[in-house]
Amino acid sequence: MIIKMQISSLKVRKKGIVILLTLIFSSFLFSCTEKKDGTILKIGIAEEPRTLNIWLASDANSRKVLSLMYQNLYVRDPVSLQLIPWLAESMPLFEPETVSYIVKLRPAKWSDGSDLTSDDVLFTINLIKKFKIPRLYSKWKFVKKVEALDSQTIRFYLQKPVAIFVTKSLSVPIVSRSEWADVAKKSLTHEKPLTALLNHKIKFPLGCGPFVLKQRREGAYLYFEKNRFFFGENKKIAGHILGPFVEKIIFKIYSSADVAILALKKGSLDYHWSDIPPGHINGLKESKHIQVFVSKKSALYFMGFNVRHSPFSDAALRKAVSILIDKEFIISRILQGYASDMTSIVPKGNKFWHNPQLPAYGHGLTKQQRIKKAYAILTENGYTWKSPPINEQGETTMPSLIRLPNGEPMQDFTILTPPADYDPHRAASGTIIQEWLKDLGLPAHSRPMSFGALLSQVKQRREFDTFILGYGKLSLDPDYLRSFFHSKNNKKRGWNMSGYHNPDFDVAADASVAAVNIGERQKLIRRMQEMVMTDVPYIPLYNPMRIEAINMNNVSGWIKMVGGIGNLWSICMVKPKQI
Amino acid sequence: MNLRRLIIRRSTEIFFIFFVILTILFLLFRLAPGDPVSRMVDPSMTTEEAEHLINQLGLDRPLWSQYLFYVKNFFTGTLGNSFHYGEPVAQIIGQRLPNTILLFTTSIIISCIIGIYFGKIAAWNKGKKLDVWMTIGALVLHTLFLPWAALIIIWIFGYKLGWFPLNGMLTPEIWINPETGIFARFLDVLHHMFLPLFTLCIIHFGSYLLIMRSGMLETLQEDYILTAKAKGLSAIEIRNRHAAPNASLPVVTSVGLSLAFSVNGGALTEIVFSWPGLGRELIFAVSNNDYPLALGSFLFISIVVLVANLIIDILYAYLDPRIKY
Repeated sequence: MIIKMQISSLKVRKKGIVILLTLIFSSFLFSCTEKKDGTILKIGIAEEPRTLNIWLASDANSRKVLSLMYQNLYVRDPVSLQLIPWLAESMPLFEPETVSYIVKLRPAKWSDGSDLTSDDVLFTINLIKKFKIPRLYSKWKFVKKVEALDSQTIRFYLQKPVAIFVTKSLSVPIVSRSEWADVAKKSLTHEKPLTALLNHKIKFPLGCGPFVLKQRREGAYLYFEKNRFFFGENKKIAGHILGPFVEKIIFKIYSSADVAILALKKGSLDYHWSDIPPGHINGLKESKHIQVFVSKKSALYFMGFNVRHSPFSDAALRKAVSILIDKEFIISRILQGYASDMTSIVPKGNKFWHNPQLPAYGHGLTKQQRIKKAYAILTENGYTWKSPPINEQGETTMPSLIRLPNGEPMQDFTILTPPADYDPHRAASGTIIQEWLKDLGLPAHSRPMSFGALLSQVKQRREFDTFILGYGKLSLDPDYLRSFFHSKNNKKRGWNMSGYHNPDFDVAADASVAAVNIGERQKLIRRMQEMVMTDVPYIPLYNPMRIEAINMNNVSGWIKMVGGIGNLWSICMVKPKQI
Repeated sequence: MNLRRLIIRRSTEIFFIFFVILTILFLLFRLAPGDPVSRMVDPSMTTEEAEHLINQLGLDRPLWSQYLFYVKNFFTGTLGNSFHYGEPVAQIIGQRLPNTILLFTTSIIISCIIGIYFGKIAAWNKGKKLDVWMTIGALVLHTLFLPWAALIIIWIFGYKLGWFPLNGMLTPEIWINPETGIFARFLDVLHHMFLPLFTLCIIHFGSYLLIMRSGMLETLQEDYILTAKAKGLSAIEIRNRHAAPNASLPVVTSVGLSLAFSVNGGALTEIVFSWPGLGRELIFAVSNNDYPLALGSFLFISIVVLVANLIIDILYAYLDPRIKY
């Protein structure tokens, strides 16, 4: 009897367990089914935003989410790339007599409903200057005084005319006095005021952008809702009637690009705000609801020389190296065609500033022609070989022992690159360039090293021969030419990593900063590019394309511009599809 | 030596070892090339700004002064502030640690139970087909490349069959809804945990199976097993009651250390599954020269491993009365 009861109770228990497991499993399956809801935009990001403190944010993902909240006075038009008023009502008015600019704000509110006034702008600039905020201070240190003429008008007095004031200074994000005043006051009493300011944790930023952060689970997601006070809603700016048209945005973290792609295909994501490796394009195109966008970037990947000492202090050798490098091969084979050729430090897509009349070293030549041309340059400049790369019949052959013009044998030198796990393209470029240089007898050795060590070697210790580095996001204002090549930046931690020194360049660079007339500045910038490409301290290699993909089922209306479809315009323009 | 004296002696050793680790870690990070400011590859950052930031972060002070500051931070429990998060390191570790423990500790316990169970069966059937297949299976699973296995599992169960979420720990749509109850949230976490847990278990249980099998094979040669057989005890009783407990000592060591190391998570697992754990943070901190976060995480792991070793020693004394200290 007892045994029978035990058996029946066991059966009941088993049934219970089966029912419970079925319930759990079906609830799993139910929650796994993707619900089509066009009012929620689901965006994937590769890493968690490290901070929501705008002054500390140096990682790309923090900046992406902050761009939904903190806004600039001026932004770039998605088509023409010209600056257009955003928080400002009109373009700034320059008064040469007082060397000042007047900016008028458009009526706007913070997400708590309070007014955005000139006092907030004044506060932001003073905070940047007082705390010497990294990356922003240099854009404002030449501003002598800022005054609010009324609640909507601000006047900026400059020490002298500075060209980047409009393009760079006026593009900084504006913060609310009410959010930061107490923090700033408290931070100033600290022994290290900047550290105190940077360490202040902001949970819910007070912005004036199209969205407001409502919830954040660290490591998991960020949830935004439409800002009911957004100044741009239903307004026509740059020919677009702005939304936002979606009610909510959820940012999810996808640390693996492979999984993000599966999520796009499955419909768990509408857009992955990160580069997609070219190898995935064909697979993505097979899915009917996936659209792939390939956009130009404002980027520069280059090979740099240490021109401070021999052998790369010789411009002839640098030109010879430049001719030997087959950029078309790097772009077509290593980058699978998803990059554009570069003939200058300023990318071709930046049409206004790019100088189209620069020497394209080695462009369109065969390998033999490259070797012959480079050989001719080096021979003319006194280089000799024990066994030259071109024999008496004029054919290319394996060279040996190259000697410098002073008769000394050229020492082995290294091409420093980031490791393949950090950037396979740069590492592979280093290896292939090493082989091309050996064709001319140049004893090159590609050496991948950790990114931190590479930067330390190049920027601080300056113990290197050549290196391959890149800037993934160059500003559209070409003032970086000055940073990279002005001799005053040839110091520890300075951006003139090559040690380039050309007094003519320095004069042109200084003049370009002061040139308020845009035509005059364009001439100077183009002249600077010409000098750089004649002296070749850097060889621009390629400008990679940005590959992105969207799921077309839920939303449409993405705006493509330089840098991809992940931009403020898209955020304001994407619309839910009919459900 | 009695147990109390053992604990006092080992605790003193641990204290000194910890100080050595603390110093070596500090020197390792500071002597490695690069610093957090040079990592900011942004031409907008001028030399003047970079130097100001270095000064503000205290990185321009002499090394000994930075060391003293670091030791002070450790003893005050804050472990300093992360350069990138701007938050106390202890707080960041505190946020990530429960997620890591939840996933990795659960996986170790489950894979250990499965490994011990199949290990003893394999040993009991030594030389038979079952043993051969189990051993080969364990070896194959143990040597699988984790990210590859994880992606295959995600592709089958998450993408093709759609039974489980592809990654993460939560479904935002469920968590942002204020009406969602605790049970639904609990189920959601469980649901997300299944695939990473499954991946970790199939990779790890093989090693426990092999350790247990080898321990069992040794134990089965002992005289007392022969005595048990002579007494007429059933095969299952001999295997489970007499052989298995004695054979599980090496497994205890392995599990103890695995549990200790589980606090650093598995960076690869956490990356593929976007699991918000400590392993992912550790990789980020090291690759971005975030000294306070990297040092804090490593120190925390060191403490756990040292304490786990002490606990294993004490457990040994209980599990095997023959062991004397």
